[in-house]
Amino acid sequence: MKRLTRVTLALATALTLGQTLAVTRGGQLVYGRYADSLFLDPVLNDANLDIWILTNLYDTLLQPTNDGKSVQPGLASAYTVSADKKSMVLTLRPGIKFADGSAITAADVKWSLDRARNPDNGAWNGLLESIASISTQGNTVTLALKHPDPTLPSALATFNAAIMPQKLFNAAPGANDAAKAKAFAEKPVGSGPFVLSEWKRGSYMVMKRNPYYWKKGSDGKALPYLDSVRFEIIPDDNTRILKLQAGELQGAEFIPLSRVAELKSNPKLNMVLFPSTKVNDIIMNNRPKLNNGAPNPLGDVRVRQALNYAVNRDALIQLVTFGTGKVMKSFMSSATPLFDATQKGFPYDPAKAKALLAAAGYKNGVDVTALATSGSADDQALLTALQQMWGAVGVRLKIEQVDAATKTARYRAADFQMRTGAWTDDIADPSEITGYYAVSGATDAAHTGFKDDTIEKLFAQSQQETSRVKRASLYRQIQTRYANASPTIYLFETPYPVALAKNVQGFVQIPLGYNLFVGASLEK
Amino acid sequence: MHASYVLKRLLQIIPLFLAVMVLVFVLVRLIPGDPVSTLLGDRATDDIVARANKELGLDRPVIVQFGLFVLRMLHGDMGDSINLKVPVLRLIGERLPVTLFLTVYAAVLGVLMAVPLAILAAVRRNTWIDGLIRGVFQLGLSLPVFYVALQLLTLLGARLGWFPIGGYGDTFGEHLYHLFLPALTLGLNLAAVLVRTLRSSVIEVLTAEYVDFARAKGLPGRLILSRHVLRNALIGTVTLLGLNIGALIGGAVITETVFAIPGVGRLLVDAIFGRDYPVIQGLTLTFAVIVSLVFLATDLIHARLDPRIEHA
Repeated sequence: MKRLTRVTLALATALTLGQTLAVTRGGQLVYGRYADSLFLDPVLNDANLDIWILTNLYDTLLQPTNDGKSVQPGLASAYTVSADKKSMVLTLRPGIKFADGSAITAADVKWSLDRARNPDNGAWNGLLESIASISTQGNTVTLALKHPDPTLPSALATFNAAIMPQKLFNAAPGANDAAKAKAFAEKPVGSGPFVLSEWKRGSYMVMKRNPYYWKKGSDGKALPYLDSVRFEIIPDDNTRILKLQAGELQGAEFIPLSRVAELKSNPKLNMVLFPSTKVNDIIMNNRPKLNNGAPNPLGDVRVRQALNYAVNRDALIQLVTFGTGKVMKSFMSSATPLFDATQKGFPYDPAKAKALLAAAGYKNGVDVTALATSGSADDQALLTALQQMWGAVGVRLKIEQVDAATKTARYRAADFQMRTGAWTDDIADPSEITGYYAVSGATDAAHTGFKDDTIEKLFAQSQQETSRVKRASLYRQIQTRYANASPTIYLFETPYPVALAKNVQGFVQIPLGYNLFVGASLEK
Repeated sequence: MHASYVLKRLLQIIPLFLAVMVLVFVLVRLIPGDPVSTLLGDRATDDIVARANKELGLDRPVIVQFGLFVLRMLHGDMGDSINLKVPVLRLIGERLPVTLFLTVYAAVLGVLMAVPLAILAAVRRNTWIDGLIRGVFQLGLSLPVFYVALQLLTLLGARLGWFPIGGYGDTFGEHLYHLFLPALTLGLNLAAVLVRTLRSSVIEVLTAEYVDFARAKGLPGRLILSRHVLRNALIGTVTLLGLNIGALIGGAVITETVFAIPGVGRLLVDAIFGRDYPVIQGLTLTFAVIVSLVFLATDLIHARLDPRIEHA
């Protein structure tokens, strides 16, 4: 028996070894994006369009794991946190280089992190808020902290903490940091697996392999396997799919969920649904009065709960996501760290919804209005379905279509009753989505006007709690309290639909959305 | 035709330019939504939005912003794109040639299709050929541009593989090849408009007395067609073509999106959705100038074709 196991093991090893050795090097992968990047600076960028590409050009001290739930070593091979949790020491990997061949020094690290945590810089500096000062010695970097921070490892694995070449950046033309960033971002040099070699805005972008990249492939040689990746910008969904089918692309993102089944049955393609942290919900105005002074039924928690109970999520998943979605049971996705799997969510219960509405004084029904993004087929399908479901319990839903910018302006000004909403985490930690959705803070709990003193306290505690077990317990309480107060309506989680040619191997889009081409190869 | 007339017409563009400048400046600020919170979407705190608006000068009174805009324009600077963070002038410089290439290509294809077919239809009026030509183009006129575009892509691009699906290419030859389907889409639409007018004006001229006279003189039919009929029939068509160049640039918005062409049409759509004020302003002004120049050119050609038109 023992011998058999050993033989099997040896065989299996030989097989996997054979497979890994067979990885093909070289070639160009052409990938269709729905829109071009805007601004390739890790610190000052604003949109997912940039974030999801930056990780190929820049590297961070730590990196998110492929499941998006924890971190692994990056440019730093190790880190240690002091006993009092008030400092962190990171050791840089020996011999690491930027894509131009110059060495990455501890000074580059200090300068990059100081720039990233500068409150005058961009929208992301808050992630590194706990750092008090940074000092360097040889190849170690010491972060002195203002307070213990359990989110710091994840924050150091997030795009904005990318390490940039201080000398090259400072050599860029421009009088101040912002002007230099503009110039540098046109021809960025980082230490990621690829380096930007050509960029025709709105048309295409080419990234070539970084010959100095530190990570090794399964064949023992430096990654990446590909010579280059070319992004073609193709805004129209149909065109992107046609180009893929014609073999002009080897990969295409944002495949409409309605076409997933069709592409799955195409023998030339590999239709992948990557797990994501994307949640889709209806965000409600929780204030007792609307902007125009009219009373707001959604100010009553019973109405908000009723609306949650009156949603048949399984039906929505079939109708809107064509079976690709997953029922949401918390305001955060099940791929977010510290998601509480014991949450019950809201089972479909129209009788309970009716009773709650009656208790709130809406026996004869209630009128509500939701903002939808015009031109969005998903919003249209979703709200029409909700109209039906809520109609059955006496809720009359009016749909108001506006363009995305108007919608944003209206909800920021609290000039709305309901709106469709979606969210994707940028950092492998639950604090980002909680800070936005559940805590009043600077965003008024996703602009709902919701505030719960207990959640505020629990969240503040969780931000300094370094025991994972205790932190998980704090997050369980937050998720339960949030569900009871129902400031939003949880709907469903959706994956990232990416269609690839059959010969593409090793491409990953992680739950945080980052597109990783570092381990991708084109097999013969 | 006098040089002074051309100069006068060119000078008339200046007040138009000013009017468009004021209008577009005010209009884009009247629509709800600002660039920064649109770009940052769900994540941004009010603080971050406020800080970014301050950096961009968007927190200043509109009249001050307008003053700065005019001042900059006088120096030939359209400002920087808020979303892309590069000069608007450079963006337009990169993208405009693509749209102009597509527009001219579409116009050429449209005219090449329309002129012979319209004449054929007119000469053979009320026969089945006439019916067929008119029927096909009537259909072309009633089908939406994006639909025709997708059908052509699916059939000639994906199924038969004769043409690439979208893109622009790097060389002149590649441009011609890549832009054939989109130019054909726009050209068909244009030809549909032209065929109708040209056919009826050819018929009108064919039955005019001077054509009878020419025929009586014994001039060969082909010469009559080219020298007398076409020249006279083309007058209305040239005007129509001029008017439609403006529409073609507008039509490019949809075509450029479907065919993934990096032109100004798509740039404008992105800028409007992103509330990228400097880009919207810069593009609108550019369009105003181009359309004015095309109209001027149309008038000049018109005058050339019909010397009776006086320009005082």
